[in-house]
Amino acid sequence: MNPVAEEVFMTSPGSADGVVAIGVKRQFDSVFALRGVDFTARYGEVTGLVGPNGAGKTTLLLILATLLLPDEGTVRIAGHDPVTETGAVRAMSGWVPDAFGVYDNLTTREYLRFAGLAYGLGKRSPARAEELLVLSRLQDFADRPVHVLSRGQKQRLGFVRSLVHGPRVLLLDEPAAGLDPYSRVELRDLLRQLASVGAAVVVSSHVLADLEQMADRVVFVDRGVTVGERRIDDLARASGPRVWRLRALNESELVAALDRNHYPHTAPTPGGVDVELLSDEAAAGLIAGLVRDGVHVVSCAPLTTSLEATYLALTGDQG
Amino acid sequence: MSGVLTVARLELTVRVRAGRWRWLLAAWFVILVGFTTLLRLAVSHAHNLQGNVGTVMYGGLQLFLLALALLVMPALTAQSVNGDRERGTLGVLQVTRLSAFDIAGGKLLAAWGTACIFLLASAPLVAWSMVEKGVPAIRVVIVTLVVALLLGVICAISLGLSALLARGTTSSVLSYLSVFALTLGTLIVFGLATAATTQTRVVHFSTGDPSAPAGCCSSEETVARTDLTWWILAPNPFVVLADAAPVVVERPPICRSFRTRGSIRTFCTPQPQSGVDPLGDISRSVRSLRSPPGLQSNIARSGGGEDLVWPYGLGFDVLLGGFMFGVATRRLRTPRRTLPRGVRLA
Ligand SMILES: Nc1ncnc2c1ncn2[C@@H]1O[C@H](COP(=O)(O)OP(=O)(O)OP(=O)(O)O)[C@@H](O)[C@H]1O
Ligand SMILES: [Mg+2]
Repeated sequence: MNPVAEEVFMTSPGSADGVVAIGVKRQFDSVFALRGVDFTARYGEVTGLVGPNGAGKTTLLLILATLLLPDEGTVRIAGHDPVTETGAVRAMSGWVPDAFGVYDNLTTREYLRFAGLAYGLGKRSPARAEELLVLSRLQDFADRPVHVLSRGQKQRLGFVRSLVHGPRVLLLDEPAAGLDPYSRVELRDLLRQLASVGAAVVVSSHVLADLEQMADRVVFVDRGVTVGERRIDDLARASGPRVWRLRALNESELVAALDRNHYPHTAPTPGGVDVELLSDEAAAGLIAGLVRDGVHVVSCAPLTTSLEATYLALTGDQG
Repeated sequence: MSGVLTVARLELTVRVRAGRWRWLLAAWFVILVGFTTLLRLAVSHAHNLQGNVGTVMYGGLQLFLLALALLVMPALTAQSVNGDRERGTLGVLQVTRLSAFDIAGGKLLAAWGTACIFLLASAPLVAWSMVEKGVPAIRVVIVTLVVALLLGVICAISLGLSALLARGTTSSVLSYLSVFALTLGTLIVFGLATAATTQTRVVHFSTGDPSAPAGCCSSEETVARTDLTWWILAPNPFVVLADAAPVVVERPPICRSFRTRGSIRTFCTPQPQSGVDPLGDISRSVRSLRSPPGLQSNIARSGGGEDLVWPYGLGFDVLLGGFMFGVATRRLRTPRRTLPRGVRLA
């Protein structure tokens, strides 16, 4: 447990929901960006926000972050209305935009100190900046100009900047974009950590594999409407037709065995052979059969994750 | 107020470290030194100055400095809001506890502070002209304050435009256009408006010849009604600067004594100093515009309080600057209902 993250969330949440948005609509000129989005995010949970490009995720996050006014609908952040109690919402929430803009000629340390001042920390901001430097593992870059940081380092800096005032609601727009696998795992751990100490974390992302590992719940939006929501642990239990990829020590042995048992399959590739199966039980049966036939099966795994399958099913009919 | 200072400090830090700013200041200083030196050499052989070289130097320097500053200032502020938005740093600033006023005020303060540093860089040259005599300290104080205020107005106008318009290039062009409107624009409109309001009137005069028929002798003359159009010139920064400068009295007024019915009366007229004091010349000519036709020859009223032009001009300029600052503050207020076309917040 990170000591910095721990001290951030001392107060216990009054209500279970950090973010509530009901029937949110927003139009830009003639474009309907949001046509009725319902969205909630609970304290202590990471909530994923997924949807195709242009679905309205960024627009929704801008409304939650008090930058855009919704045309219609009710929004509450930590119990406050972003329209009428803007200050209270800002004190309670942190926002990380998808594109992290930087000031020229400002060092990492100065940038974080300035963020502290902007959030009214006053004399406490230098100390807070040091804590955040540790949290972001950017101590070595503390006196380097922000604009020379790599994309991933900037992303990390933008992320810890949003924590400067200890927000209880965290809104992140595609935080994983541009991160290397290691930083991705790290981000995941950090977000889980923040949730475990009571924050409501909202993450929009296109990387479903990431969400599958860090989110508790996922809300799907498509063309400005909420089209569904799932708890990740429910998704893991659910099943349906899926493509599984098989690999064996001897490929021709495997193909021959599949043909013998009348399993339709794709042509073998270096990655393996793909077979569509109806359920987990069918997969178990297939493996047992192959082993019985003497095929040396190395691996058998679903090609698409359950989240991906749900995503495609919910947002699929795009034409 | 601390929010304003926070933003101003950030802006200044970012700006001061940018190398081009230092080069600009260096170039600025070199140009001013070159101009002042040339001016000093140019007037060194003039005979009518009678030890008032400083007056010419100071007046010329201030007019030149203002012209140069009007060229530089829009470049410092014209992209401060939309540039931040394009770079993606504005939204992050707006979601903090800083208010729209803090952000706009901080940006204005930083730009204005920078302008004042440019102004300060001319201090050695001002000191030089004071050493050359003919520049009262009060004139330096007032002119410096007025120039500083005018530069603040230009910064506020540029800031407002940068908040109003989505593209940095558009707001830069419009900032320069507004400087153009205030300087050459007022001059052009004044010229045209004066020509348009020129009246022809018939002047009757008597020839002293009793045999001439009544009303025989008249002639037509055209009169420029500048008393109706002078206000167009008032917002011109150069007019404001020159007219606000306190009069330099370096020569004693010409006094004549008359003996009337046994008592001696003395009439004094301040001496006009044409060609000696550039600021005074401009001031006298714009003040004379205010008199109705027929009274224009009354040059003697050079210090006449009722003919002041600069309070109107400066008042207008400051109101304009305040209005544009208000526009910037309004445009920075979040959450936003409307966005300029084609602008994304993130
Ligand atoms: N300022 C704006 N002016 C006009 N249209 C806009 C504006 N902002 C967003 N839109 C439109 O609203 C829709 C939703 O955009 P938004 O950025 O919210 O999508 P998104 O879900 O974040 O997409 P992505 O996954 O690509 O980031 C898009 O069709 C977009 O073109
Ligand atoms: Mg987006």
